Amino acid sequence: MYLANVNFGQYIPTGSFIHKLDPRAKLFSLLFIISAIFPAKNILTLGFWVVLLAVVVRVSRISWAVVLRASRPVMFLVMFTFIFNLIAASWRGNFAGGLYSAVFTASRLMVLMMFAVMLPLTTAPLELADGLDALLSPLERIGFPAHESAMMIGMALRFIPLLMQETDKIIRAQVSRGARLDQGNIFQRVKAFMPVLIPLFIIIFRRADEIAVAMEARGYEGGKGRTRRRPLVWKVTDSVILCVCAVMSLGLLML
Amino acid sequence: MLSAQKNRNNDTPLIEVKSVSFTYDAKNTGRALNRVSFFVAAGERVAILGHNGSGKSTLAKILAGLQSPTEGVCLVKGKDIEFMDFRELRRTVGIVFQDPENQIVAAMVEDDAAFAPENQGLPSGEIQARVDSVLERVNLTHKQGASVSALSGGEKQRLALAGVLAASPECIILDEATAMLDAISRHRIESVLRELHAAGMTIIQITHQIEAENFDDIERVIVLSHGSVKWEGRTRDFWDMSEELGFELPEEFKFRRYCEAHGLNFPDSFINSLPKAELAHHDYSAHPAKFELKGLSFRYSEENYALRDMNAEIFSGEWLSIIGRTGSGKSTLVQHLNALYKIQEGRIIFEGSDIPQKGEGVYTLRQKVGLVFQHPEDQLFSPTVREELAFAPKNAGFRGQELEEAVLYGLECSGLSREFLDRSPIALSGGERRLVAIASVLSARPECVVLDEPLAGLDASYQRKILAMLGRLRDEGRTIITILHDLKTALNFSDRILILRDGACVREGRPQEVIDTLMNTLEPETWPDVMRISAAIRRLNPSFPLLYNYQELITCI
Repeated sequence: MYLANVNFGQYIPTGSFIHKLDPRAKLFSLLFIISAIFPAKNILTLGFWVVLLAVVVRVSRISWAVVLRASRPVMFLVMFTFIFNLIAASWRGNFAGGLYSAVFTASRLMVLMMFAVMLPLTTAPLELADGLDALLSPLERIGFPAHESAMMIGMALRFIPLLMQETDKIIRAQVSRGARLDQGNIFQRVKAFMPVLIPLFIIIFRRADEIAVAMEARGYEGGKGRTRRRPLVWKVTDSVILCVCAVMSLGLLML
Repeated sequence: MLSAQKNRNNDTPLIEVKSVSFTYDAKNTGRALNRVSFFVAAGERVAILGHNGSGKSTLAKILAGLQSPTEGVCLVKGKDIEFMDFRELRRTVGIVFQDPENQIVAAMVEDDAAFAPENQGLPSGEIQARVDSVLERVNLTHKQGASVSALSGGEKQRLALAGVLAASPECIILDEATAMLDAISRHRIESVLRELHAAGMTIIQITHQIEAENFDDIERVIVLSHGSVKWEGRTRDFWDMSEELGFELPEEFKFRRYCEAHGLNFPDSFINSLPKAELAHHDYSAHPAKFELKGLSFRYSEENYALRDMNAEIFSGEWLSIIGRTGSGKSTLVQHLNALYKIQEGRIIFEGSDIPQKGEGVYTLRQKVGLVFQHPEDQLFSPTVREELAFAPKNAGFRGQELEEAVLYGLECSGLSREFLDRSPIALSGGERRLVAIASVLSARPECVVLDEPLAGLDASYQRKILAMLGRLRDEGRTIITILHDLKTALNFSDRILILRDGACVREGRPQEVIDTLMNTLEPETWPDVMRISAAIRRLNPSFPLLYNYQELITCI
């Protein structure tokens, strides 16, 4: 019920090799890995990715507990996939095969999600935003607001923990005024949640307003003419890692 | 002071406000600012003083070039701020706001400090050099690689200050920048400001009160009232006028005045020396208990204890204040009292029986024990004040005539007039919203009211209103429990004090009895003036009592 301590994959600085990689290299590698895991069909291929995930987690010096906790919000999806597969297969009368395929599909999704979660865990929000900015900037020619989109994602990552705390506090306050948030049918529950949602939206809009003013006060006028404290520097290691990921992914796709 | 005087005569002032007016609506009714004129010389340290609603925040935004005046001009170095180059303006004037969370844009400390120089398009080497120097200036170097969410409130505000300093402005404006902070964090910011001023920075502090710790540093005071400049002059002259202007004098200052008038000679350094307290313990005779805490422990994780084997009693009908440093478990404790936290270890006995942990009993308990959170005005959601006041009693099962009476009772507690019932809570002023939010808990007629920092961020007049409201509630026989970080208020208003340290209750008793423990538990920066003065006298004369009340201090001398 209370949300203050949920980690949705916020950056954890450990200064590891993975942390130091260029965000663009990490973004591209993740794209390769995800597109290779999706079509993985046999247990051997999946096993390979599990081993690689273990290596990545180990090298990043982030504990498994954190990685698992950060992937918790998608566990619902994993469970749903598992049950759906199981029922679909059992329907056809092959329960053992159904169980196997349900476990396989669910674990594949889980491995995929955990790879995805490693990106925000090992990349500072602004760095991630810079990486996205760089990757999206070619689209600026056709009018896509690349810098703004990247900045928005960076800011969203910064404010998630804060908004979780606010939500938690509002829930507690309304509950102590006697609100019953967990009773009744779905419509009653949605209605009962309005005393939480309305103040939350007011807070979000007010914050957005004040942040915009504070950013202007610190001289922000969009991406033009902005420099970076740590400009993205593509290193040899980034090329190597990206190549390794590309080769692995393509190789396993061929199998 | 001398250099500022010189500047005044020779050069154009750094900032000059000429007949500035501002209104939020086009019809020009109800001006937020009305023909305000003043100037600030380079290198000066000025306070702009005003109560809530005096127009001071609007003025802050105009001075920083973030808002255009409806009439009049604001000149920076002789140039109209409206037509100034954006980058030049941002390199001249910086502004720090009240809530650090709304100023920090990055998730990492260093990334945030780099934001302004990045916007100025500086080369990365220079950005890093600025980041290093501003973080050192605000004493956050040890946190440079940390994430923002791991900082305390005071550290966050220091980071916000660093983020503004990184633009290397010539002048910084602080708009109530220390209002949300505790005394220690305030002292840290103050010492940074003192250094900056000594290095030649122009500082404009916009605030609703001048704290004792900086009345020697501020050179000039401009008093703003209802959108106009009501008084302007040197700080020394302000103290003579302050009561007339509606501002309270810090007690340390009153004491100095008293000593001057009576020929008593206490050197300044004497008041600032901070001895340790030693007093004999007293017994407290028990009244019927409302709450009994028995061995209450609570932890968020394996090692992270918030409460540790806590034992205490809260007596029926008393006003108890819970005092302790940040992180001592105060908020966790009060949220146990109406079962928002489930008990992990130990017992809480309410009116003779264990408090319920689940089921309908919990709702009954929450009606009997009303809890007002910090900044409760953030939790208002109804279209009208009437509906807001009806929310809690409705949840408690009040209907019809009973409900109407409950709403009127809440309104009566708030001291607001009947016209407020049909107004939207969001459209009210900050102080009025706080009153409505507290009333929205009181309307369910709780026997016991628990308030977490009910005075935080309010100006003196609303603080008095809320303290008077709590006094009336106690006269009605209700039990009042408050968490107050302002020791002076806690000692002067509550019947009894409960002192927490690291999640354990270290002392409970009448204010006079617990002063010594308070002094040993809390940082000297948080001691009220009278307590510091009496402790200093006590060191010269061991028979002198430790005091918290100004009148008593004067009597004892």
